[in-house]
Amino acid sequence: MSETKLARITTPAGYGLLSLGPWRVLVHLRAGFVVIVLLLLLVGTSAVALASGTAQLSPGIALAAVFGHAEPSQVFLVQALRLPRLLAGLLTGCALGVAGCLLQTLARNRLATPGVIGLDDGATAFAVASIVAIPTSLAPSALALTGAATAAALAFGLSGGAGARGYRFIVVGIGVGALFGALTNLMLARTDIDSANHAYPWTVGTLNARPESAVWLLAVGLLICLPLAKYVARSLNVMRFSDAVAQGLGIRLPRVRILTLLLAVVLTALAVAVAGPVGLIALAAPELARHTTGHRGLPVFTAGLAGALLMTAADWVGRTWFAPIEIPVGVVVAVVGGPYLLWIVLRQSSRYSV
Amino acid sequence: MSRVSTRASLLRVVVVSVFVLVLLILASLAIGAGDVTPGRVLSLLLGADDSEAWFVVGGLRWPRTLLAICVGAGLGVAGVALQTATRNPLAEPGLLGVSAGASFAVVLAIQFGASAATVGPWVAVAGAFLGCMLVLATTRIGGVGEDPVRLVLAGAAFSGILTSISTLILLRDQRSADEIRFWIIGALGGRPPESLAWGLAGLMLGLLVLLPAIRPLAALMLGEQVARGLGHHPQWTRLLALVSVAILVGTATAVAGPIAFIGLVVPFVARRLVGPDLRRALVASLLLGPCVVLLADVLSRLAVRPYELPVGVVTAFIGAPVLIAVVRGHRLARL
Repeated sequence: MSETKLARITTPAGYGLLSLGPWRVLVHLRAGFVVIVLLLLLVGTSAVALASGTAQLSPGIALAAVFGHAEPSQVFLVQALRLPRLLAGLLTGCALGVAGCLLQTLARNRLATPGVIGLDDGATAFAVASIVAIPTSLAPSALALTGAATAAALAFGLSGGAGARGYRFIVVGIGVGALFGALTNLMLARTDIDSANHAYPWTVGTLNARPESAVWLLAVGLLICLPLAKYVARSLNVMRFSDAVAQGLGIRLPRVRILTLLLAVVLTALAVAVAGPVGLIALAAPELARHTTGHRGLPVFTAGLAGALLMTAADWVGRTWFAPIEIPVGVVVAVVGGPYLLWIVLRQSSRYSV
Repeated sequence: MSRVSTRASLLRVVVVSVFVLVLLILASLAIGAGDVTPGRVLSLLLGADDSEAWFVVGGLRWPRTLLAICVGAGLGVAGVALQTATRNPLAEPGLLGVSAGASFAVVLAIQFGASAATVGPWVAVAGAFLGCMLVLATTRIGGVGEDPVRLVLAGAAFSGILTSISTLILLRDQRSADEIRFWIIGALGGRPPESLAWGLAGLMLGLLVLLPAIRPLAALMLGEQVARGLGHHPQWTRLLALVSVAILVGTATAVAGPIAFIGLVVPFVARRLVGPDLRRALVASLLLGPCVVLLADVLSRLAVRPYELPVGVVTAFIGAPVLIAVVRGHRLARL
């Protein structure tokens, strides 16, 4: 009986039916294709990033060295020096991409990314505080989390509880970001020149010599947050129609909103604690994911993959193109992503919402 | 509100703000990081013979106070002019990228061999003018001119690009980075002595350029059609206003570094006090601007004694809440 019922299922156009024993999953073909391409690109970029540097390896040897199949010096070079940096880049990019995707959808505005509404600034200010201003060594991750949460609470609270709608929310976020930026400057101006120089690359966003504990914390955070993000994505997807429709379909709006915001705050803060403010990744990665998949759903995973790809590529560019000077990844992203942000703002408003 | 009562209110505002300004000047002379206390300054002003206090007050605090007044007046008036020309209550030279253009020009000049102490104000004016032209061009793009917030977002994006390119330049050149580290935050203390003359000249020139544009600008506030009907040329009016803004903001940036939010706070307060009339708002801003900058400067000396805060940090703390208040206000409620 059940056999005949399943046999009658026809796959909708553009979807493929993936069956494995008793389980069957509908896969959006184009989205699946994009994920595979992104994964391949990611592996390629990672290999190139591992291979290039002062000591040039071939990408093949670099990948082999990751698993220990190369000369000991090469294994050391790749495993101890380049792999941690690559991992930091992959994880921060993924976290920022997912956070951006969630927040954009929640606010129904593609400009509402963590960087634009001041979460980055909040996290940076508090993390810089832990480095220069406060003698007790509280972990930067914990403080970055506090900062991002404070910024989010301020931005949402001050925009008048309008359900995070429209531009008012974003400009309030810019104001909050300016406050925290001033706070960061204040702390940098007060401290001695050595600490200031030490903190300066950190405030522009770099993957150089990141604390290992923060990277681990980010990895754990991603493991917890990604499934949750996928879980809220379904509800968020319905909420894109209108609040009334979503409510009618049985979605508890306040709970979904709070959970989404919480996820975005946690992911952003953990990423900022590792790499500093590289906010435009959170703007560009979801865009890339949406455009390439052409999928009506919420491309949470694809956005994460795209973020990781962009981050790795940008870091590779900053590390190698201007050698021996290293350009922080945050500057590379800002120089490339800034015009893109400008273009989004200036083009016709009808194509503006997510 | 009748005409008589607004005139009276303007008079009241002028009297009160002059009084506040005098108080702030006295505070600015009396308060500082060193051990020249308010008491010693008071006895000096009353005729006591105190050469150390005389040097600190006359040589350090008095030029700094005058510089703050120049910068404040220039930025306040520039804010009113820019907001009127773009018909946008959020238009602020700092937010729209005019200051960023000026800073960027200075960074470029220092990169090409100038010294932060000697770089001329015309470099910053040229950068500010370029920033102004970009703002004007942006308002012509469909729909942006009608939407205050999008212009601000575009300005923020534009500032971000220029800032990151500046960072790129500074990372490659340690000498420039050292020269510019303090300048780029915005501070009034420790400026070269000729900067006061530059600031004053820039203020005068900017006001002179703005003077013939005031009437057409006031007409422009009623709409482009009305302004045309009254025989004005909206394009030329805007251009004149923006040249004036470029001169005012450029010189202020050259002598004191980028000081954000003054051009937003001052017109906001001025309009609250004297109403929407352009001329009254300009007069009030001319007096309120120095008050706000002086207040920020005095606070910057008090906040973290014996250190000193860059005044740009204090103005950001004052300005960001005002930005939020403007966005939450009724005029933007339709957004």
